[in-house]
Amino acid sequence: MDANELAQLEEAVASPPEEAVVGSRRRVADWFARAAPLLEWDVVSSPLGPLFLAASSRGLCNVDFGLSEASFLAELDPLARTEHSPAALASIASQLHDYFDGSRTGFDVPLDLSSVTPFQLSVLQAARTIPTGTVWTYGQLARAIGKPRASQAVGQALGHNPVPIVIPCHRVIAGDGSLGGYSGGGGLTSKRLLLNLEGALPDLAFGL
Amino acid sequence: MTAPAVRFETLVERHHDEIYRYLWRVLHTSGGPEPALEAQDLAQEVYLRAYRAFGRLRKDSNHRAWLYKIATNCAYTALKRGRRKGQQTVDPPDGVDRITVSEAQLPEQQVIAHERRERVRREIAALPPKQQTAVVMRHLQGLDYTQVAEALDCSEDSARANVYQGLRRLRQSLAGELG
Repeated sequence: MDANELAQLEEAVASPPEEAVVGSRRRVADWFARAAPLLEWDVVSSPLGPLFLAASSRGLCNVDFGLSEASFLAELDPLARTEHSPAALASIASQLHDYFDGSRTGFDVPLDLSSVTPFQLSVLQAARTIPTGTVWTYGQLARAIGKPRASQAVGQALGHNPVPIVIPCHRVIAGDGSLGGYSGGGGLTSKRLLLNLEGALPDLAFGL
Repeated sequence: MTAPAVRFETLVERHHDEIYRYLWRVLHTSGGPEPALEAQDLAQEVYLRAYRAFGRLRKDSNHRAWLYKIATNCAYTALKRGRRKGQQTVDPPDGVDRITVSEAQLPEQQVIAHERRERVRREIAALPPKQQTAVVMRHLQGLDYTQVAEALDCSEDSARANVYQGLRRLRQSLAGELG
């Protein structure tokens, strides 16, 4: 198709007035703001590098590190609207800051764990009860939830923790005293860093 | 390493304007009385359908082509409605005709240019919907043939054929007008 033909085609078919385009865009944006859940997020610095946080209207729903902003946003509900909103994450950001400088041991923050299965939820809730500075084995956690033969499933469930550090899945190690696994960014290096920070590592030396 | 999956909000931010312009062009060409408003309703419908179907979309899909597919289906429905009502293509009050000749044109030349645009528009509107949308997508929206094929839910050969047939009919019926 030559340039003259294209020009005549363009001229005949024409284009909408810009106000119409803008008006439609606004209307679709308004609909989307009403239809989609809102996730507010922020990124804070930490000994593990940039730490990403996201919260729904119900509470903190995602924590991650060792990845790019784009990759973090890709982990969030793809149908949700996202907004970079430091103010919405200020409380948890402040608590994390205190945790990393050693002045806080636990977190007081509403959580949104709606993305996990009932079994994963029971595992994560049990993990929350592990006192800072101590570690449990996968087997101990399995017994704690009344499923003593489910150590492996417990390990997999911990791997689905959407809010690492806040729910301390890093405080769960293998029965032989080795660290086991860690699906958070940085893998076992991060797990070791967190346990060291909490003063739990000396316990490992005694073969807990 | 796979690229991060696209977010729905990105589909809105990145593609709304071109989807709206596409819908408007199809409606305007077919002589709908209020293409700006009807296109607005259709754009909303496209994104509503896309929102509901988003979970079924494969991560490696061409999202742009997928939106055009939904938009084309919505446009077909509107086109069928328009044809049933026997709409004649007219210069709608909110259309923007790009004048490609200088402003120093004589009134007579303006009339001739207007008539020519009207004639081309009528011929486009007379094309089968698949050829009409294929031509608009390929030559006015800038989709490649792979994307046109996906939007029309046909093979790439069929997409090329639809564009080719559409242009051929336009050239035939407008001998001397196009080219």
